[in-house]
Amino acid sequence: MMIDPVCGMEVNEDSQYKTMYKGKVYYFCSPHCMKAFQKDPEKYLREGPKGMPNE
Amino acid sequence: MSNKESEKLRIGKEEELKVVGMHCATCSSTVSKSIKGVKGVKDANVNLASGIAKVEVENARLKDIVNAIRKAGYDVVTQKVSFKVDINPEDARKLEEKIEDIKGVIKASVNPTNGVILVEFNPYSITSDELAEEIYRKTGHKVTKVKSEVANKSEVHEMLKRLIIAWVFTIPTLYFQYSGLPLVALFTSIPVQFYAGLRYHLGAYRAFKNRTTNMDTLVSLSTNIAWFYSLYAVIVHQQTFFDVASLLVSFILIGKTLEAYLKERISVQITSLRNLKARLEDGRVINAEELKVGDKIIVKGGEVIPADGIVDEGKGEVNESIVTGESMPVKKGKGDAVIGGSTLISGYLKVYVTRTGERTYISQVVEAVNQAQTARLPIQNLVDKVSSVFTPVIIGVSALVFTVWKFLLGFSTEDALLFSVATLASACPCPFGLATPLAVLTSVNRLAKKGIIVRNGESLEILKKADTFIFDKTGTITEGKISVRGEGDKTAISYASAIEKMSNHPIAKAISSIPSSLEVKDFTEFPGSGVYGKVDGHDVIVGKRDFVLQNCEGDGKGDVLVCVDGKVTAWFYLEDKVRDDSVKVIDALKKMGKRIIIATGDNSENAEKVGKELEVDVIKGLSADEKAELVKNEVKKGRIVAFIGDGINDAIAIKEANVGIAISSGTDIAKYAGDIIIPKIGDLLTLLEYSRLTVRKIKENLAWAFGYNSILVPIAAGLLYPAIYLPPEYAALAMSMDSVAVSLWSLVKV
Repeated sequence: MMIDPVCGMEVNEDSQYKTMYKGKVYYFCSPHCMKAFQKDPEKYLREGPKGMPNE
Repeated sequence: MSNKESEKLRIGKEEELKVVGMHCATCSSTVSKSIKGVKGVKDANVNLASGIAKVEVENARLKDIVNAIRKAGYDVVTQKVSFKVDINPEDARKLEEKIEDIKGVIKASVNPTNGVILVEFNPYSITSDELAEEIYRKTGHKVTKVKSEVANKSEVHEMLKRLIIAWVFTIPTLYFQYSGLPLVALFTSIPVQFYAGLRYHLGAYRAFKNRTTNMDTLVSLSTNIAWFYSLYAVIVHQQTFFDVASLLVSFILIGKTLEAYLKERISVQITSLRNLKARLEDGRVINAEELKVGDKIIVKGGEVIPADGIVDEGKGEVNESIVTGESMPVKKGKGDAVIGGSTLISGYLKVYVTRTGERTYISQVVEAVNQAQTARLPIQNLVDKVSSVFTPVIIGVSALVFTVWKFLLGFSTEDALLFSVATLASACPCPFGLATPLAVLTSVNRLAKKGIIVRNGESLEILKKADTFIFDKTGTITEGKISVRGEGDKTAISYASAIEKMSNHPIAKAISSIPSSLEVKDFTEFPGSGVYGKVDGHDVIVGKRDFVLQNCEGDGKGDVLVCVDGKVTAWFYLEDKVRDDSVKVIDALKKMGKRIIIATGDNSENAEKVGKELEVDVIKGLSADEKAELVKNEVKKGRIVAFIGDGINDAIAIKEANVGIAISSGTDIAKYAGDIIIPKIGDLLTLLEYSRLTVRKIKENLAWAFGYNSILVPIAAGLLYPAIYLPPEYAALAMSMDSVAVSLWSLVKV
């Protein structure tokens, strides 16, 4: 199990929402979380999960 | 709540909708938010586990709620059912509104030309049988469920039967009337008045029940006035008009039978697989509908291929104009795909069936075309307003005509009555209801024969007004066959080739054509960005420049970079040729003064090259979402946008545009989001031409309808009397020819 770096939920490695940043793969529970991460990856890596993004 | 508002109430106090596509907590809150955003929704409770959205409303339309959910990127489980109903064309809109008032109904569209109603409803709150009962209860119209057939022939037969009965009894009525035997004429006129004319009386009654008026009201009123006045005249020994009443019905039936025949001819033009036979390998002959996937069928020269499949044996030339619009035959041999509905001109094929029944290409086309035929064009709103006041105005005019002739000009009651009845009989709101749908129907059918599938009839009218054309590049403007040129470290290039073999992306396919037989482990694809994998013990990333640079050190030229163990060591340049067709289309659009944009996900120099070659603005490096955003912004600015793309990755942008046009090979029609599907970009010009012609045809049809009525009514009222006098029966004949004229005009190619 992996942790969604945006909302903190547990996610499977077969999640279709994933991205690579600085050579490491990150998995997400939804396209919303993935988009939020892609917008500012450093923020989530530095400060940890923030909960569901409010869109 | 005002009356007008309560009319819009399409939903009960609570409705349960099954939402599809939710897979996390964010999704359910997004859906919930989108539902609550609809005006009139009191509360919404969305359950992620069951996918059920419970919606509590005060005053909102189910249609708006479903649209809101769909706009948020999710879908709702709905069911569609087709009913057949007997209606007058001008009543179509009213019936749609009444049906949309029924609880659970999302959308209703009535095709006035063939009387098919397509209803989309929420299967969680009503069944199709309940729906049929509700429609009868609310509108007085009996409906029968049909499958996706175009029209049934019974209307012409039914009309013909009544027409024959009408004339069989009208002729003796005429004879007895003029032989001074009005009492016998009374009896012979009964079958005409009350059997042949029954559909008009019933129609008038239904209209009365729905508090409206229509053509049936006029016909029923005029014949009944003539007949019942004659009944009174028999009793008091005055002049009778049984001949007038009977001739009215008989003449109207001539026109209406002809109209029914023409409507049917226009409707049933698309080949359907419904009645085709299929010959199985073992010699048995069955209906095409009974075929199953995996069956092997034999097709001989001259026969229509009854299902989609792959050639297993044999060779032949196939006419695929039904898919591509091209009448040039295509050679087919073992392993080639064939499409049901196309014709094997010569040769012999054994075909392995891959798609049958409603899943075949042609069935989907017929279904799509059927839906397009029920389109409601914006121009129809004006027409509806006119026809809703038309009949009451004519009834008023007719009363006025009677008053003027009788009391002002001092004519006898009988003469005044004849003018008044002629006025009623000469006016016909029918062609107003027919003008738009018939024009759309003919265009949609003609385009289908050229391989252009119009799924949304309204788009034909909108396309004419489109001022901005946004094109996808790869596969739409260009051939989509990307070639690559690699530079840099040779080993890295062969790693890239090995890794790209695992992906289906067109660029990946081009890179993987470079020979390499290395093994790949831990392959991961990042759609729209690139791929990662371990090759020969090395970490390899191949992808878009931005994506690779975010994960690697170094720099590189080219459009696609290759990163090995954290360093960029090789790169590729991409090339994609512009289609000959595209140049022609872009030139034509420029001449029309349209704004043209190419929106592409491609970030390479090639994108700019294409833009320069065509002298068109290029916005590059866009994701599927960003393309949609671009379209949305243009629409917000008030532009009318047509987006043309090749389907899958452009689906969202296609949906956002005022008119979404998908380019397809034809076979994957179901998954496209387009309003219109064209086989190749060159067909856009044909489409634009037809869009212009359709709007022109509608206007011409309306001109016929208006012109006809405005000439005929004053003459029937006796304005030119005694120079020109139009007896009621001829007024009726002339009136019924109005719809015939509109139908015929719709068939005439311009």
